[in-house]
Amino acid sequence: MALLPEAIGDLLGIGGTAATDFVAALLGAALVGTLMLTNTALAGPWAKRKITASFTDRIAIDRIGPAGIGQIIPDALRLMSKELIVPDGVDRPAWDLAPFIVAGSALMGFAVIPMGNGIHLADPETGLAYVFAMASVASIGLVMGGYASNNKYSFLGGLRAVAQNLAYEIPLVLTAASVVIFTGTLQMSEIVAVQSETLATVGGVAIPQWFAFVNPFAFALFMIANLAEVGRNPFDIPEAPTEIVAGYQTEYSSVYFVLFYLGEFIHIFLGGAIIATLFLGGPAGPVLPGIVWFMIKIWGVFMFTQWARSALPRLRIDQLIEIGWKGMLVLSFVNLLLTAVIVGVVQ
Amino acid sequence: MSTQKESTDTEAVETAGVDYDRLEQLLGDAVIGRESHVNAEGFVVRADAVQDALGTLKEEAGFDHLSLLSAQEYDDRFESIYHLKKYDDPTQEVSVVVPTSRDHPVSESAEPVFRTADWHEREAYDLVGIDYEDHPNLKRILLPETWQGHPLSKDYNQEKPQVVTLEEHKNPIQDHQNPDDTDTMFLNIGPHHPATHGVLHVETVLDGEQVADVNPDIGYLHRCEEQMAQNGTYRYQIMPYPDRWDYGPGGLINEWAYARAAEDLADIEVPEYAQVIRTMGAELSRVACHMLAVGTFALDIYGDFTALFMYAMRDREKVQNILEDLTGQRMMFNYLRLGGVVWDIPEPREEFFEKIRDFLDDLPEALDEYHDMITSNEIFQTRCIDTGILDADTAKEYGVTGPVARGSGIDYDLRRDDPYGYYDELDWDVVTEDGGDNYARFLVRMREVEQSARIIEQCVDLLEEWPDDEREIQANVPRTVKPEADKEVYRAVEGAKGELGIYIRSDGTDKPGRFKIRSPCFNNLSALKEMSRGEMIPDLVATLGSLDVILGEVDR
Repeated sequence: MALLPEAIGDLLGIGGTAATDFVAALLGAALVGTLMLTNTALAGPWAKRKITASFTDRIAIDRIGPAGIGQIIPDALRLMSKELIVPDGVDRPAWDLAPFIVAGSALMGFAVIPMGNGIHLADPETGLAYVFAMASVASIGLVMGGYASNNKYSFLGGLRAVAQNLAYEIPLVLTAASVVIFTGTLQMSEIVAVQSETLATVGGVAIPQWFAFVNPFAFALFMIANLAEVGRNPFDIPEAPTEIVAGYQTEYSSVYFVLFYLGEFIHIFLGGAIIATLFLGGPAGPVLPGIVWFMIKIWGVFMFTQWARSALPRLRIDQLIEIGWKGMLVLSFVNLLLTAVIVGVVQ
Repeated sequence: MSTQKESTDTEAVETAGVDYDRLEQLLGDAVIGRESHVNAEGFVVRADAVQDALGTLKEEAGFDHLSLLSAQEYDDRFESIYHLKKYDDPTQEVSVVVPTSRDHPVSESAEPVFRTADWHEREAYDLVGIDYEDHPNLKRILLPETWQGHPLSKDYNQEKPQVVTLEEHKNPIQDHQNPDDTDTMFLNIGPHHPATHGVLHVETVLDGEQVADVNPDIGYLHRCEEQMAQNGTYRYQIMPYPDRWDYGPGGLINEWAYARAAEDLADIEVPEYAQVIRTMGAELSRVACHMLAVGTFALDIYGDFTALFMYAMRDREKVQNILEDLTGQRMMFNYLRLGGVVWDIPEPREEFFEKIRDFLDDLPEALDEYHDMITSNEIFQTRCIDTGILDADTAKEYGVTGPVARGSGIDYDLRRDDPYGYYDELDWDVVTEDGGDNYARFLVRMREVEQSARIIEQCVDLLEEWPDDEREIQANVPRTVKPEADKEVYRAVEGAKGELGIYIRSDGTDKPGRFKIRSPCFNNLSALKEMSRGEMIPDLVATLGSLDVILGEVDR
């Protein structure tokens, strides 16, 4: 299937030259970006509140629009119209760049995600490596924000963010590598294609070869590491509102705060997209179009993070690092080795 | 009343089991007189022999609980009274009275003997103006450091307003930042911080994420409660104030603390029926307080307003509704009166009892849910077990009481050990845990809720069957209560946070000459230092949460 920029080029009849390809790519990127930002807008000011409320026996927003969904608009206006307070002694421009890095990096990750119905911006052979690289760039934004804020709470938050990401990035990537051993490629479209084969047929229903079914252990490991990656309970340690106020984003207000907030949610969705692509067959699913299935899957992961947030206590940073280095890392290596051995024997 | 003459007062002292004459011999020549308080005998001790006297009483007579230090100024002298008790038997009390001259108010500090005297003496210095020699850190505790004069002393100008400017507090870090010490970081936690449960400022020195030292800086919520009480009449004007101490809402228990002290002072008998209502109300208050403690502790550990916080609030709301039915108020009850309560159970009584029974029936299920989601959660256990450890001896040093003490294995509960109200007629148990950590304190509160439910149920049974014509809600108390001059009493009740005591000295008028509150949170908070040194910041926050301090009661 053609990638989205090519499809747009063909549709508009402007394909061919480098300049027009660039325009088509921009249009495609704008489309995907808008799609994800819309999801984020839905998740941040509305879905998150509603989900948390139903976990905690409350009603939450219900004044504007059906089920309060119209709240998104006044909330956006409110956040945009707040004063941007720049504290004394912040280290500019690092302080100004941090929110853009956090929000931008997560958004960039979607470039290589196949979302079904031809919504797929680029399909490089190193797709998986790229998406992890982009997801990790966010940590730099967190550290910049924490360090540049000239605030001790931010500073502690920044330090925690680095420690946490180091402890969890490696198990995350190693677990993803076990999938790569199956597929033999880093290309996202290939990874999805491999999963469309049938694993087994139970009572006439074909169960696809999704890696969540093939290797549930790796799936569970990845889900947990992903919680830490996106900084949700029990791993919301870099923010830890009751301990270090708001961590790296303590000093941010107005639009910068929105960007941080946005970045966090896009990050959760990017985590969901990676999980969907690696373990849940990407956009695959019966009856409904691929893009719908894809959205259902990433919202499923989002729901999972919200569930964890409502129900689980937060770990301490040293405990998290212990679990990361002594537990998750070992388990992910075991998983990688076993997968390699099994794949080697079977083939 | 520190003179020899008064010590011959024949008024019987209701303190069985203490051989005061032996104690006097034990103290030897430190004693220069003896006086009688309503609750205990007092030894008048030389100002330079305080450590000796208290040390002897502590080591040789077993008075290991410095419950309260009350200080006051007379026309001719300053006086500090150390109210001592035993953790094993709080009915055994003794007071050590230390007079000092007005022009040279210097008294030896008790801090080397009882660590808890540290904060108590700082408060006495701050408000009354007595200097304590040998005190490690004698500076103001409730008022700003720049405050002029001592508000409870006689020559203090009450009319003159004092403005504490921002300039003087511009950089609170300055004194603390040692330029040579680059390994540690000073961090102000509070006064505006999500985890301080009110306005508390914790000066923290960090070594990485580890807490090297903490120093709670209190006083942000100081509202001169003691002085306000001193300006109110016993009969009506004081009772509303206690609701503002522990607004957890432990209002009814706080009111009872005042009622108990004042009733003993003025020889008022409370009818049994009223005592049962008081007992029930106090336990309802305790359940509400503990629910709040459970919820906010979950908030500290979970890090957000998560399900657990909301569940605890939901269950607390049911108690609040019951209390509202009973008293007409949700927080500021003002329900107790000297000699009883203000009105009977609301009509129709069956409906009210039904409501309580519904709540009690649902409670076990709610508690099971908490145990499911909190105490048996492994992450919660990793966070709480073996953090914020307070061993029993340290706890006693700091005068720690209530669930915090019982979490450290100290079997001390005034409801049983110094019975008042209707508690000794009822069937219930004192809960203790041996862990001494955050988890133990949390468990104690959860289990105390069960015990409170038992008490409430028995009270409801009693009240339901109480004969119509014997429902006396108030004793016959005169409109104006004027206890004899120079009568002193210190009485405590078991508040939701611990021993909540009131010291009153009457001056012959209808208002107290001196009114002093012994706040359990104040003492418990002073132990924070011991509990959180060497721990990580999250544990400091958890420990603070497990102490369950209400700043309204700390600062008064």
